[in-house]
Amino acid sequence: MNINHFMIGFAINSILRRGVKSFFTLFIFTVLIFLLSSILFISNSIKTELGLTLKSLPEIIVQKIQAGRHTNIELKRVDKLLEFHGVKSAVPRIWGYYYFERAGVNFSVVGIDAFDKQYKESFEQITENFDFDELNQDSSMVVGEGVKKVLSDNYYKDYFNFIKPDGELEKITIAATFKSSTSLESNDIIIMPKKMVLKIFGMNEKKATDIILSVANPEEIPTIVEKIKNLYPDTRVITQNDLRVSYQNIFDYKSGMFLALFIVSAFTFFMIVYDKASGLSSEEKKEIGILKAIGWKIDDILKEKFYEAFIISFIAFLSAIILALFFVYTLEAPILRDIFTGYSRLKPDFSLPFVFDFQTVALLFFLTIPLYIAAIIIPSWKVASMDADEVMR
Amino acid sequence: MIECKNLTKIFNKNKNDEHIALKNINLSFNKGEVVVLKGASGSGKSTLLALIAALSKPNDGEVIVNEKRISKMPDNFTSLFRRENIGFIFQKYNLIPTLSVKDNIILPLIPSNPDEKLLENDVDKILEKFSINSKKHMIVKQLSGGEQQRVAISRALINNPKIIIADEPTANLDAKLSIDFINIIEQLKNSSTTIIIATHDPLFFDLNFVDRIIELKNGEVI
Amino acid sequence: MLLTPEVIAILILDTIFLLFGVFAFYISIPIALKWDINSTSAFQYGLEKKAILVATIIKYIFILKLPLFLFFIFTADKISGVITGAMCAAGVVNSVSFGLSLFVFKILNLYIFGFWLFLHVEDMKDEKLRFTKLKFVIFIAAFFLLIIEIFYEISFFTSLDVDKIVSCCGTLFSAASTSTISFLFNISNPAIVTAFYISLGLYLISYFVKNAKLFLVTNTIFFIVSVLSLILFFGTYIYELPTHHCPFCFLQKDYYYIGYIIYITLFTGTFIGISGSILSLIKSKFSNRYYNISFLFNILYTIIVTAYPVVFYIRNGVWL
Repeated sequence: MNINHFMIGFAINSILRRGVKSFFTLFIFTVLIFLLSSILFISNSIKTELGLTLKSLPEIIVQKIQAGRHTNIELKRVDKLLEFHGVKSAVPRIWGYYYFERAGVNFSVVGIDAFDKQYKESFEQITENFDFDELNQDSSMVVGEGVKKVLSDNYYKDYFNFIKPDGELEKITIAATFKSSTSLESNDIIIMPKKMVLKIFGMNEKKATDIILSVANPEEIPTIVEKIKNLYPDTRVITQNDLRVSYQNIFDYKSGMFLALFIVSAFTFFMIVYDKASGLSSEEKKEIGILKAIGWKIDDILKEKFYEAFIISFIAFLSAIILALFFVYTLEAPILRDIFTGYSRLKPDFSLPFVFDFQTVALLFFLTIPLYIAAIIIPSWKVASMDADEVMR
Repeated sequence: MIECKNLTKIFNKNKNDEHIALKNINLSFNKGEVVVLKGASGSGKSTLLALIAALSKPNDGEVIVNEKRISKMPDNFTSLFRRENIGFIFQKYNLIPTLSVKDNIILPLIPSNPDEKLLENDVDKILEKFSINSKKHMIVKQLSGGEQQRVAISRALINNPKIIIADEPTANLDAKLSIDFINIIEQLKNSSTTIIIATHDPLFFDLNFVDRIIELKNGEVI
Repeated sequence: MLLTPEVIAILILDTIFLLFGVFAFYISIPIALKWDINSTSAFQYGLEKKAILVATIIKYIFILKLPLFLFFIFTADKISGVITGAMCAAGVVNSVSFGLSLFVFKILNLYIFGFWLFLHVEDMKDEKLRFTKLKFVIFIAAFFLLIIEIFYEISFFTSLDVDKIVSCCGTLFSAASTSTISFLFNISNPAIVTAFYISLGLYLISYFVKNAKLFLVTNTIFFIVSVLSLILFFGTYIYELPTHHCPFCFLQKDYYYIGYIIYITLFTGTFIGISGSILSLIKSKFSNRYYNISFLFNILYTIIVTAYPVVFYIRNGVWL
């Protein structure tokens, strides 16, 4: 099938001839694709970001459950867990959320002891760079970038006053700020020696928030999980895979919701395009008559209309994607990204990593262009099969 | 060459505003003939032309052109027939104002995706013939009435048609342009092209190069 | 129910196809019943115009169905990330009881719609439009198949269950499992290879003899035997693993996307062979070019698919 470049030229000229009408259609189509692609790009970026975060999460988390809710777990269980074959290490974690009322945000407060095996590389780096005994003595902490910013904004430049459960204040100095490999991670984390965390939250020293395990062979995780559940029926055991699946589901659910909204807009779009394509000025009708008289088949006229549609679709598609890329990755997608970031504690100022793949483009293509083409099929046919003898009058 | 047998055309058949445009027309046109169809508006001239060009289908009877029964053919065949055999000259030029002269002229051939070089040659030849080669890439809107007329005729000739059909070609023209047109038609007369002109302009009724005048009244030949 | 964006895209397009399909069906009925090319009534002319509309709608559906089929596979592949046990599209498709039938059905419909378009092109070349009535009768049948496919597809996506554990291709494509095709794996390698080359031989004979009926039959046989031999034998040489029978995995990057070329050549070759044969049986003056095009693609397929085991043997001195 040769491409008829004469036809293309004629189609372009027709589009220009129709001026306002063409532009209107092009405009709303571009807007539609723009919104859709922005949402998809944001979603992809956050997924990637999460993927990175997930890699640094522990392979197995053991939590104690009482009355359906999480409660602190006994430290002596750690040794029992280490006895299982395949468990490389079992580390009790001390951590929690501290609600900073003035700023209306939550910080994750994580307790680290230098001699513990760290489950996160970034923590490993921190224990190397900072002397935790010193931190303990000086009552200092290391904070993430997002935390530092929130504290500075609230006039806490070098230290912070935690409010303990008994109402007393605990002043803790900021020793340093750390950066980590993912923005999501570094933003809301405060790291300090375990003893200090226990103090701030008023926790029992014989207990931990949860216990994390690392295993020698990831294939054995399901078996180990079984064993733990048998040994301690009052625990909830979460694996890295569980987290991965649940995140993917939340994402797809949120995207799904948005797409359901999209369907409504798509339908509206369809009706608009259909209507526009159907309404013909008398000039346009005359033109079709002329074309028929000089030897264009109905099929040729239809072909020309489809060429017009492809040209408009192509321009809209390209422009919308470029605009969306700019909007999401240069402007950081104001307003729209809030649809997705409801899951996190802080409203983070993280930047969206650039993710662009062919599959997303294919998806965008299938969601938009067939819709537009469908909308013009019947109107174009009606136009093309009009009787031409009127042109003789 | 062109045979009209028992042609009947009825508009809005079986409805209140039923109108019999042509009644049992029997006519033939020979190769090389220049024929004028004379008649007032409503006499059926335009309808007859439309049937000869296979732009519409008769209710009864048929049109046969060079042994091809074009009235019975489906749309894609009749369109091809027109593209290959007929050159149309309309009452109001019917050019596309925002296209260039060249683009307007090649308009009939666009769907065939012709060879670029050959096409260019043909276009240049025709532009030369009508002395408008300097205007080749100008937008038609910017041309004078006479120049537009010549573009319209060029378009009708680009496909080397065997039949030229002109429907009221001088109705919107002043005396000078009308005479120019008549002169051009005279030049086009040759042994292999049939020219049919439907008009009620008296300028056509007394020309020596016109072979025949057929008069229509109320859908019948008189 | 698994509502990923890809699934939604497919469902939206299915809805469009459904709506347009029903509309085309509605228009097709008077055409199939009352078409009379010799009539000069306004009604007949109306039918001729409507026929063009139906053809346009069918072209639209078909042109989209092809890439959409690939997109379907891609979507299934992506979903495999969320369904436990499924490691590629094959696992996902088989997680639903009628998944395999849906898949085969989709391919069948592509062939049928493709054939319709073939017939349409031939019809348009005919002054008397002799095939129009036949065309529309076929369309009415194809329409029902389309409806069935769409409903199957919708049910497929709605029955996907994240919580259900699924077997992956390793267990599906083996003699030990209880899936519908497991009995095939009891066929020995020499047997299936022989069957393949015999069917190729039959195909070649029918090509040289240029007998349309024979060509139709041999193409169909060749198609079936090729798919089977691909799964049972040739595929294992692409993976260089005697137990890896999955017909999807070689579509992936790791195998240089060879799967696409394999399937495209096989489908094109057999499709043109089958459609061409049927058309030349219907229309006496049908060009014989289709023999050559089918031949070209089928031979290409054979060469590619034979190359893998041969190259393997040359490199390693043994068979798998």
